[in-house]
Amino acid sequence: MMTSEQTSQNDTGANNRPPSAEPAAALPSEAQPAPPAASQQLEAGRTLPPAMPGLRAAACGLLTGILFTLVILFAAPVLREWLFAILPESQFSLETRNMDIAQLQREVQQAGKRIASLQRRMEALVPRQPYVIVNSSGNRIYVMSGKKLLHEGICSTGSYVLLKAQDDRQWIFSTPRGMFRIQGKVKNPVWRMPDWAFIEEGRPVPPPNSPERFERGVLGDYALAFGNGYLIHGTLYQRLLGMPVTHGCVRLGDDDLRIVYQKLELGSKVFIY
Amino acid sequence: MPDVLHKIRLLLRKPFLPLLRLLAGNRKAQILFLLFLLPLPLALFVLVVALPVRQLAFEAAPAKPAAVDSSNHQHLKEPEDEAEKQALAEKRLALAVEEAFWQVRHQMSKSDSIGLVINLSDSLIILEVKGVPIRQSKIIRYDRSDALDHLAAKGRLRQWLAGPFILQRELATLPKAPIRIIEAPKDTIEAEQRKTEIPIEDRDVHFTWEFDRNLTIVVEQEQTPSWEGRLQKLWYETQRTWNTAAATVDSLAQRRLPEHRFWIALELHRDDAKAIYRALPRNANLALHL
Repeated sequence: MMTSEQTSQNDTGANNRPPSAEPAAALPSEAQPAPPAASQQLEAGRTLPPAMPGLRAAACGLLTGILFTLVILFAAPVLREWLFAILPESQFSLETRNMDIAQLQREVQQAGKRIASLQRRMEALVPRQPYVIVNSSGNRIYVMSGKKLLHEGICSTGSYVLLKAQDDRQWIFSTPRGMFRIQGKVKNPVWRMPDWAFIEEGRPVPPPNSPERFERGVLGDYALAFGNGYLIHGTLYQRLLGMPVTHGCVRLGDDDLRIVYQKLELGSKVFIY
Repeated sequence: MPDVLHKIRLLLRKPFLPLLRLLAGNRKAQILFLLFLLPLPLALFVLVVALPVRQLAFEAAPAKPAAVDSSNHQHLKEPEDEAEKQALAEKRLALAVEEAFWQVRHQMSKSDSIGLVINLSDSLIILEVKGVPIRQSKIIRYDRSDALDHLAAKGRLRQWLAGPFILQRELATLPKAPIRIIEAPKDTIEAEQRKTEIPIEDRDVHFTWEFDRNLTIVVEQEQTPSWEGRLQKLWYETQRTWNTAAATVDSLAQRRLPEHRFWIALELHRDDAKAIYRALPRNANLALHL
């Protein structure tokens, strides 16, 4: 009886032989194994007849080719980059090849003038009067004038909470981004609580002008409206400043709020990002 | 232990040894192997690598026809003139790139939405609204595609940079907006916060923006990623690679050559990267200065 190791040795021996050789007949008679058992017949079945090595090589070639194809497919951008790195670049742009030196000098001079003019036009877009920049990602506020920083402080912006009510209404508490203008300035503001303020506390929503909706002191000493009901205002919860906790308004500490109120006029710009 | 090593060695040899034995000394098998191995990878290499590169690197740029004075032409063949012309041509190209940059910024200032400005020559990345820079951050390190140099050499860079790039797709390791869902009537945000501190978001920031005109901006945070961050990045990189391969297959299926994407990789501070990623709206505009 042959061991499995011997079987595998015989297999590899068969593979070593040239395809023209007769695998079993070429073995010396004393080396021929006894008739294999059922399981070993399966092993022996793997020994290829003389015509099979070609087929086997083709199959192996095809499989390896498919493997390379996949590699090329996934590595195509890298391979293209390598090619671009290897390829020489032409030194002259085709556009300038036919120009003379005087023409080039003239073009360079004109381009310089055009750039300076564009830069002046861009400079003019920066507001000279004070404006505010709110960083809603880092919860910071900057009071600026031109390119000069007048004051920097912390603030709180939208919490990105999506509040779902039982009646299928929903609100997302995010601070809007973009450019806005101050549309109103109020001292000692009174908060008119919207529906969501009651819903998120699980309280019944009162009628629109119910006295229950009006709350004093929660918005700090000042409020500046910048459109669509959003305000820059104060807070009772000073320790939460610097965190994203509001319903979309911009909350400031008392000192920062006073500075912002003093510096910004009606129409002043508010940039939020 | 030696047993295990032996088994590993056998396992590694298993797929290759029979193949090598099959091919050794058998010319017919060798030819058949190569005949079946080469066509597919070669065809794909030509279609997705060689032809797109050829298209970009060797295609003639649309040049302005210029009247050439034959006496001037003779004169230009002097080596000093050639050197001066080369220097002027380079300066002209640099100015053309800068002019295109300022023109695009000026064009972007007419839009109400937040736009992005990347100035590689000054290593700056700027968020801008209506021409007002609202956040300016330093680019710590950057790298760019070699294909851009070929575009410059072909005189097509100015055309490519003319007009704002428009954001089309983005992929990131962090959500665009950190939305939390609260169902009423549960506790209010503030009531909840009075009891517990609000967790500060501390995610690693890696993202890719795909703009039109085949521009890809890859942003990596400067900080070493956390263990969890590494896993997120691995998943993000896998998605990126998969998307690129899918786009290549898609192009081939539509009988088009895949277009090479010009990439710029930026390394930013994590806070800058997060703020810029979250601030930039869908379809945002970009002004680029190389």
